[in-house]
Amino acid sequence: MSSVAEPPVLPATRRSIPWLRIFVVVFLVILLIGSITTDGFYSVANARAILNSAAIVGILAVGATAIVVAGQLFSLSLGVTVAVCAMLFLSLLGYGMVPAILGTLLFGFLIVGVQGYAVGRFGANPIIITIAAGALLEGAVTWVSGGVSVYPSAEASSYAWLAAPLFGIPFPVFVFIAVVILGELCLRGTVFGRQLYLMGGNPKAARAAALPISRLSFGAFAVAGIAAGIAGILLGAFNQSGTLTTTGTLTYDAIAAVLVGGSAVTGGRGSVLRSAGGAVLIAAIADMLLLRGFSPPIQMLVLGLVVACVVLLNQANRGGK
Amino acid sequence: MSQTQARLEVRAVSKSYGAARALGGVSLDVAPGEIHALLGHNGAGKSTLVKIVCGLVAPDSGEIFIDGESVDPRNPRHAQNLGIALVDQELSLVPTLTVRENLIMGVPKGHEAANDQLRGILDSLGLERVGLSDVVGHLPLGEQQLIEISRALSRNAKILILDEPTATLSDHEIERVFSAVRHMAADGRSIIYVSHRLGEILELCQRATIFRDGMCVGTRDVADLNRDSIVEMMLGHLPEVTKRSRGQMSGEAVVEIRGLTVPPRLANFDLDIAPGQIVGLAGQVGCGASDVLRAVGGLVPTAFGSVKIEGNDVRLRDPLRAARAGVFYTTSDRKADGLFLEQTTSHNLVATRLPRLSVLGVIRRVRERASVKRLLELTGISPERQRTLVGAFSGGNQQKVLVARSLEQRGARLLVLDEPTRGVDVGGRSDIHDLIRTAAAEGVSVLFSSTELDEVLELADTVITMFGGRVVASYESDGVSPAQILTDMTHGADHALDGRGAAA
Amino acid sequence: MGATLSAPVRTRRPGSGDRWPLIFLAVMLLLLLAVPTLLGGTAPVFSVFNAAQSFAGLGLVALALGLTMIIGEFDLSVVGTYALGGMLAVKFGAENPFLGALIAVVGCALFGAIQGLAIAKLRVNSMAVTLAGYLVALGAAGTIGDNKSQPFPNFEFTGTFNAPIAGVLSLRSLITLVIFVIAGLLLLRTRAGRDMRAAGGGRRAARTAGVRVDLIVVVTFAASAGLSALGGTIQSYGVATATSNPGLFPLIFAVTACLLGGVALTGGQGTPVGIFAGALGLCFLSQLFTDLASPQFMVSLVTGALLVAVTLAATPALAQWRQRLIYQKDSTDSQTARRDS
Repeated sequence: MSSVAEPPVLPATRRSIPWLRIFVVVFLVILLIGSITTDGFYSVANARAILNSAAIVGILAVGATAIVVAGQLFSLSLGVTVAVCAMLFLSLLGYGMVPAILGTLLFGFLIVGVQGYAVGRFGANPIIITIAAGALLEGAVTWVSGGVSVYPSAEASSYAWLAAPLFGIPFPVFVFIAVVILGELCLRGTVFGRQLYLMGGNPKAARAAALPISRLSFGAFAVAGIAAGIAGILLGAFNQSGTLTTTGTLTYDAIAAVLVGGSAVTGGRGSVLRSAGGAVLIAAIADMLLLRGFSPPIQMLVLGLVVACVVLLNQANRGGK
Repeated sequence: MSQTQARLEVRAVSKSYGAARALGGVSLDVAPGEIHALLGHNGAGKSTLVKIVCGLVAPDSGEIFIDGESVDPRNPRHAQNLGIALVDQELSLVPTLTVRENLIMGVPKGHEAANDQLRGILDSLGLERVGLSDVVGHLPLGEQQLIEISRALSRNAKILILDEPTATLSDHEIERVFSAVRHMAADGRSIIYVSHRLGEILELCQRATIFRDGMCVGTRDVADLNRDSIVEMMLGHLPEVTKRSRGQMSGEAVVEIRGLTVPPRLANFDLDIAPGQIVGLAGQVGCGASDVLRAVGGLVPTAFGSVKIEGNDVRLRDPLRAARAGVFYTTSDRKADGLFLEQTTSHNLVATRLPRLSVLGVIRRVRERASVKRLLELTGISPERQRTLVGAFSGGNQQKVLVARSLEQRGARLLVLDEPTRGVDVGGRSDIHDLIRTAAAEGVSVLFSSTELDEVLELADTVITMFGGRVVASYESDGVSPAQILTDMTHGADHALDGRGAAA
Repeated sequence: MGATLSAPVRTRRPGSGDRWPLIFLAVMLLLLLAVPTLLGGTAPVFSVFNAAQSFAGLGLVALALGLTMIIGEFDLSVVGTYALGGMLAVKFGAENPFLGALIAVVGCALFGAIQGLAIAKLRVNSMAVTLAGYLVALGAAGTIGDNKSQPFPNFEFTGTFNAPIAGVLSLRSLITLVIFVIAGLLLLRTRAGRDMRAAGGGRRAARTAGVRVDLIVVVTFAASAGLSALGGTIQSYGVATATSNPGLFPLIFAVTACLLGGVALTGGQGTPVGIFAGALGLCFLSQLFTDLASPQFMVSLVTGALLVAVTLAATPALAQWRQRLIYQKDSTDSQTARRDS
């Protein structure tokens, strides 16, 4: 029963709680003090180290951003995908550098894209589909590789330049910057990117507006797959071998980078630039902890706390789901 | 009126939303054991009054008395404690729980009714075959409705308000609701029955209060009323409708709908629409018009039938196919599935035409800006606001943005608009109507639905009245009276047709 | 004039939803007993015992996740609290295992309550909060355990804990069984359980009816963390080791067990009986693979495939398709009836 006399629509002002600003300032001050009092933090070598470790996570975070913006939450198996791509890349090197790169990217594109299709077309829960796909991928790859590490064959093209520094900065950092620029251009300037934002912002309206939901979902995940492929190539070149255990907490680091960057979990907002910033921030914090002698588990703990704080504050600022 | 004290008395209740007056000094009373109808066209104020009595909305002025005592329902729970229960369209049952669990949900510990008590209530409503341990979600809608009523009874509701309780029920289920209502009245409870279905009102209720424009036009004994007198009271004096005469649009039907069915709400809907013809579906809640529109837009997974645009079959249940065939759908609920509230105006305006503004997938900013500029001109929204988030706009402007999205689209063959001016004031409404007429003048067919009959008369070339999921009749808009349309909308037809809407 | 077509009526009693999970359980048990014997393998009784032993720990994780799904949320952090619980128990329970278990359960329950508060009061998406919670809990577990496995030195207790009772059970598995029974009674027979199911099946309706939804969310997340911590404790005591990072496997297990057990992602559906059947059945399946000396990746593949299948089967797309077929058939039937009449 619609009534003509509808209660007036209040303008949607974003409630900026003053204490949010205060907290951010306090947080940054703590960070600043921490970095100043950490020996060796402000050095060129350290900066390079931070950028290097941020690079791989950052590339993956660009991919994860596409998924979050599209409203499809997260993929929990990007780490496994990266490891598999590293293995694939190294094994394909025998056919030449270009086929190896193309093959790996294509693999990433398809294997993660198909997960997105299942999510978009059938409405399956993305978190569950991706962890299932991760288990399948892990099982299949262990089967095929026999559980051993993959090494590039003797005739493999020279790939050392992928991990080597260029003008003193590790090559992956350049790739990271390029991926960030490309990613941002794609999300902001293409029909595909714009439609991802729309779909994430209001999935029902997107459907009613005849946006191609299944295709968009496939695409968002496929972008993440390509990012995983790139990260896998760089990682494989760096380690000069590929196994399933090389990626550790990569998945969570990438997701954390996206969340810390401020992209809304529910979708429709966020940007590649912010996720890249989040990746650098996380790498800086981890680096600081490392320099002070804290072990990886503590880094994970701190990471979790930072993510929790950012997510809660972000949500509280926006005034609810 | 008998000398016994009124169970419920409402005195001079008023409510305004800003400048819009929803209720202006309404008074009525309901006796114990009486079935009292609230009648009135859409927006006349009956739902506002219901919300006030149920504690959902606070009145600006006026008093409410229950059994002589002044009360002030502050929230739904409080109203429940006062003995007021509401059963409306939104079922407030939990589908995964059993009947018994739903009946006692929320009752403070120790006060739950015993099983045989509940059983007795269910039986008294004709629900003998429903077990207390049946899962509610698997029961037919009619029985679910009755279970909601049972819940109200089990909490000793003295005043039961039924708001459009039969809109989506089958005949058989309606009968059961009726006997339940009579039973409850016989028990001494007061029933307020809000419905647009005059036939039911005449059959069931003792007295009726008719609303119009937020005022109470009068309270009459139903025995003294008939269909025509009620319609006359509901209509009052309609403003002169300046109908711009349009030439007869003749030509081959570009849109052919056959046998469109959305079980269980719509059956066998047929319609032909010529290019440039504006067809208006007139009906109240539950008449099936919304289902027609959504189905044609490809948004109903359970729809079947046939829709042809320019002779080509359009696959149902797929919004992409519909869009490719030139169908542009605009929803009635702009916040839920219409606009992207957290995006800017310009993003919302071009949301459905991005491919045309791009080259090889990259958006050409120049084209986008030009398109946005043009659409802003059309809607009269200032270009300074193009970067404002649409969520900050007034309802009227939001609606304009939504409607503008489907305008000036090359390749558009059919605009489908569900309640195109919902929540929009008079000025905005006429702007939106102008937009729609311009589109039609360019040869695009328009199919819209509205629960407001003056809108239907003003905008449509052909009016199709609907009731209970079927077409009642089809008229040329300059050859039908508002009273006739209202009668159709509220009473259906004695012999409902599997109607055919003819092309002009 | 009423609606045009009546919906097909299918009344089902509650608990009938548990039928399929129990069938799954029975089939798995059968396979476990039959297949190795047919291939001339190990004694079936021992296999069942073994499966029950691993069920003791993982089953509680499934129950934990299942409870949050029943109220319409999702607790991703169960893996974290599973690891953290095991670690805390081992660290503090060397002298007194009960103290260790208590610390683990209560500590994690508090942690879960905090997550629940964030979800209920701040209305944050439960997956985002529990993802952060997962990181925190896993990080804490790694920190306490110094990033490696920690041994549980009380071998005497471990022995008693694992000692077979009636051939297939043990103290270890009995504890979990009892907890499942309690959970089942709680969910199906008490008012609190009913309110939980209401909060999951129709949150808005429940709130209007006066159900204290926020309280339910907090308590359920506290229970979820506590239960998975207990599962981790049981597992650590049972194998006398606590791992600091069990990977995603416990989560995959828990989700598969819940979906197989009839718990819906949408909330309001599923019972501890179903979760029990799904979890134990999965343990039987896993044990079958062990008995057949299948390589580990086989288990990964099968579990992954099973999870995909169950997830797709539970999606709305399938249900809509089936509903349309039913209506279409009904409509053509009634159309022919009308035409013939």
